[in-house]
Amino acid sequence: MKQFLTQIINNRRIGADFFELWLRWDAPAPVPEPGQFLTIRISDDNVPLLRRPFAFAGYAEPSGAVSVIYQVRGRGTEILAARQPGENIDVIGPLGRPFPIRENQKKAVVIAGGVGLGPILFLADRLRSRDISTTLIFGCRSKSLIPDSVDFMNAKPVICTDDGTHGFKGNPIKYIAAKADIDNKTTIYGCGPVPMLRSLCKLNRPASAQIWISLEALMACGVGACMGCAVPTVSSGYSRACKEGPVFNGKEILWEQM
Amino acid sequence: MGTNVDMTVSIGSKSLPNPVGVASGTFGYGREYEELTDLANIGAIFTKAVTLKSRKGNAPPRIVETPSGIINSIGLANVGVNYFLSNKLPFLKTLPCAVIVNVAGSTEEEYLQVVQKLETAEEGIWGYEINVSCPNVKHGGLAFGTDPLQIEQLTAALRKLTPKPLIIKLTPNVTDIALIARAAEAGGADAVSLINTLVGMVIDTKKKRSALGTLTGGLSGPAVRPVGVALTYKASRAVSIPVIGMGGIMNTEDALQYLLAGASAIQIGTANFIDPQTPEKVLGGIRRYCEKQGVSSVTDLCWLATL
Repeated sequence: MKQFLTQIINNRRIGADFFELWLRWDAPAPVPEPGQFLTIRISDDNVPLLRRPFAFAGYAEPSGAVSVIYQVRGRGTEILAARQPGENIDVIGPLGRPFPIRENQKKAVVIAGGVGLGPILFLADRLRSRDISTTLIFGCRSKSLIPDSVDFMNAKPVICTDDGTHGFKGNPIKYIAAKADIDNKTTIYGCGPVPMLRSLCKLNRPASAQIWISLEALMACGVGACMGCAVPTVSSGYSRACKEGPVFNGKEILWEQM
Repeated sequence: MGTNVDMTVSIGSKSLPNPVGVASGTFGYGREYEELTDLANIGAIFTKAVTLKSRKGNAPPRIVETPSGIINSIGLANVGVNYFLSNKLPFLKTLPCAVIVNVAGSTEEEYLQVVQKLETAEEGIWGYEINVSCPNVKHGGLAFGTDPLQIEQLTAALRKLTPKPLIIKLTPNVTDIALIARAAEAGGADAVSLINTLVGMVIDTKKKRSALGTLTGGLSGPAVRPVGVALTYKASRAVSIPVIGMGGIMNTEDALQYLLAGASAIQIGTANFIDPQTPEKVLGGIRRYCEKQGVSSVTDLCWLATL
């Protein structure tokens, strides 16, 4: 991890609900892996006070740039959405544990709900670059929320909408249960709202099909010091989303406490 | 840095390399920030609280942001004293800065046992900071730090266990900080540090319950700074031992307020989350201010103010 000032390359709205931010990410900044995140100092003032965490949505190696996909939810992301290309921004990253990819992995199903799309896009890209057969399933409430981005469309997603205005009608879990081919060689990855991840982990599947999920948590430090981002886990009582996570094995999470 | 300002600060029989420490709970056990700042520039690392047994901590959510502040409800989640000695101290003792172990407990015996165990370490521990904001389970859950009698007894009992600097970390949630600071001094403390967090509460109006996993938590950050400065001033006038000031220090200017109010040293807390290089920047700023003011020792700063 490193703290440095970097430049905003692009910051634009994609779809009704999401923004995509591109930042310069040159050496010696360590190369990010899918599942890892960075924290951004939103403002030099004291409101909002804390840095905000965002998962990497992509890394363009030749040009030395990273992207994140975010949703405007409050004061912090409102301020971020107003930042302009060319401006400098204070970042720390890469942080946290990435999605694990097994040596002899052949097949993957990756699921994103809403703003959970960022890390899943990055992961799908990485899996495919390793010749792992990858199905990307994206779910959102309605057609207007589907991201308007070339990277997203290039990832050939299966799109699910809750209201059926585009693609499969229903959430990604319903799609998987009805249509996805999950055998004992499939690794499943997910990022999105807790109810979606919870039902994903309860999905009927071959015992050897692993599930890895990435969790969102409120964080103060992002580096493992403050113990603020506690996630209830089977082995440790609580684990830190920023250090042991944000990617966890699905069976590690105590879902009833989430 | 080619300067002749003496930045050292004496506490008890020892001396800190400089007056800028990092506050307990905001800096882990040091290693967490190794890649983000030069730990050698920090005057003292006040460790995450260490208790007799490891603690899982409170149910999440543990953090909520407030205007210019945060409220935390971590619940002293920590690895416990044995694990601290075997797994955290080996790294800490390689550092040039002072390592001050923050100790917490829910009975007097627990505090004593933790310090006894820490005293078995041959090297690496510079001193102790005692968190007396914990509820005393044997006194109806009232915090040790709100009762001068309990403070004096606890301090005196700890004093018998160690010759190392003993710092009592005071809670601001009291009527008269002077009374409490004097009790710590009477018990044999080498310094007092203040302020711990202020009790605060945020209600989630959609869920109609606390925004934290617990009802209340501890407020820190710039929002509490004026409280910290005022209590530092009061405490420093009440005792002759050094006062270590903290509460919402984000930059040099904030740190100088504490030093002018009567603090001999300061701690950076919440600011470490926002900019891990704050301690380093503040240290440089204090040094420059001393040079500009023409004082030869940082501990002379408190004499400059007319308060």
